[in-house]
Amino acid sequence: MKRGLLGLVISALVLLPPLGEPYVLHVAIVVLIHVVYAQALYVIMRMGYLSFGHAGYIALGGYTSALLATKLGISPWIGFLAGGIVAALFAWALGTVTLKLRGIYFSLSVFAFAEVVNAVFRAFEVFGGPAGIAAVPRPALFGTQLTTHLQFYYVVLVVSLVSLFFLYRLQWTRFGCTLLALRTRATEALAESIGINAARHKTFAFVVSCFFCGVMGAVHVHYLRFVSPFVFTFFLSTDLLVYVMVGGLGSYWGPMLGTVLLTGLGEQLFAAGYYKSLVYAVVLLVVILALPGGLISPPRIFRRGGREPAVPEAAAATAARER
Amino acid sequence: MDVYLHLIAQGLAIGLLTGILYVLIALGLTLIYGILHIVNFAHGEIYMLGAMGVFYGYVVLKLPFAMTLVAILVLSLLLGLVVERAFFRSLRGQWLQLVVASVGLSLIIQSLAWVAFGIQEKNVPSFFTGIVSFAGVRLPMERLVAAAVGAVLVALLYLLVYRTKVGLAMRAIEEDEETARMLGINADRVAALACAIGFALAALAGAFVAPIYSLNPGMGLEVILMSFLIIIVGGLGSITGTVLAGLLIGVLQSVGGVLVGAEAAYGLVFVVMIGVLIFRPAGLLGKA
Repeated sequence: MKRGLLGLVISALVLLPPLGEPYVLHVAIVVLIHVVYAQALYVIMRMGYLSFGHAGYIALGGYTSALLATKLGISPWIGFLAGGIVAALFAWALGTVTLKLRGIYFSLSVFAFAEVVNAVFRAFEVFGGPAGIAAVPRPALFGTQLTTHLQFYYVVLVVSLVSLFFLYRLQWTRFGCTLLALRTRATEALAESIGINAARHKTFAFVVSCFFCGVMGAVHVHYLRFVSPFVFTFFLSTDLLVYVMVGGLGSYWGPMLGTVLLTGLGEQLFAAGYYKSLVYAVVLLVVILALPGGLISPPRIFRRGGREPAVPEAAAATAARER
Repeated sequence: MDVYLHLIAQGLAIGLLTGILYVLIALGLTLIYGILHIVNFAHGEIYMLGAMGVFYGYVVLKLPFAMTLVAILVLSLLLGLVVERAFFRSLRGQWLQLVVASVGLSLIIQSLAWVAFGIQEKNVPSFFTGIVSFAGVRLPMERLVAAAVGAVLVALLYLLVYRTKVGLAMRAIEEDEETARMLGINADRVAALACAIGFALAALAGAFVAPIYSLNPGMGLEVILMSFLIIIVGGLGSITGTVLAGLLIGVLQSVGGVLVGAEAAYGLVFVVMIGVLIFRPAGLLGKA
């Protein structure tokens, strides 16, 4: 049943777009890109880590590819990969230092990192300064540049489906299950006692998370055909968090649900300017207060006999005092 | 060379004065963290509201300065109580939800502020004019007054936490909340108080910088970034560590700005943070 539904959704995503108008395609592209961002963020949130700076890694990926394409004329296809790799390298460097810490220390250091990345892009002319980099080319396939929404939609679709499939499978590998065991300091100590190298697992998870953000960031920039320090800001990082939390941490489908609903809604609110963040924030607070497990979890009143909520919240409660 | 030294001395002095204001904001964060175990992202917005309060009270409504300050103090204390009651209390112990709720709160306040205050930058005339010269270093009076007020507030907070019964309760809850509750400490009330005090410190810091910077609803972001760096460097929950780190980072930013430029100084501060995280993960004076 679930598999059939998934097949139906994927075939709709593949077959329907030629019928759609450019605007609908635009919304679909934006939603797909953000789904991958949120799902990548979910990798580390599953192990109890919260990042306030994923936009920094997205920006690193985007800038890498944009610079390669505009300064050196390197094909965006290579740029996508290069973007992912650069983001992953920086993630590795920061992760080895800060992932040893638990909770808020990690979150704050990633936040600071992203702000510095932005400041550096703003400061140096090599990176385009405050104006950013314009005229970022679209990738070409068999000699034709993919300039229309429809053509680029398929690029995004392929990259995001591959990423999402990988991230989905990752959960159920030995590695993915081990990440669940690292959620709290106590379980982490248990895992280490049976010979699991927690630090290496956590670093690798963070690297994977940032790799996909970097790749998708590169795709994103080539879609926008432009990047500046004001594209991937703190607000993107918080938006991603909002998507994941509103959707719910209990299952892989939670962040996806949250992202699809909110980015779709956000596009409708785009003209409303600042009201977009306002609506997001209100939705976030309402969901968190009423449904701490996110939209994917049933409301408290439907839960039988006051059963304990799913693992994430329980883990979060114990994690509260840890760093 | 002489000019250079002079510039550094000037940067040092300005850095210390700015550092005290960072300390005010970071102390509020540390206070709230110690009791509620969250880092309050909305803190930068409270700072912004404090500065905007001065603009609307002192410039638009032409209230006397002292009256504006009292109004800001009362309103920020109330806001702290309301926020604690409405959001933080029901999420106690849920780390992820708490932090994300504070982010949500920050977004709400900021987007409402953009709508209400507009994108036009606002300027507040100096409350205190004049320049003080000391050993060749020239300091604007308004910065000196702001720093002096900041120092007094820090001292008052220190007395509150280490010399009063409420402060004892705060430290007890930080140490071990369960035991503190068993001993009859009303943890909810103490948390509300900590929240209110933290908000008031941030709002007052905002009020005193109002004449120094141009005001816009996004001004909280840079300050909150600096405050986060400060509490990481100083050690979460440590008042003395926060004060030291705040002054250190204020000086680094200001002297670094003179020597290598503002954006590179940002990077410098970040490098210091990473260094502290590597060698003293709990911060300079934090408990390991």
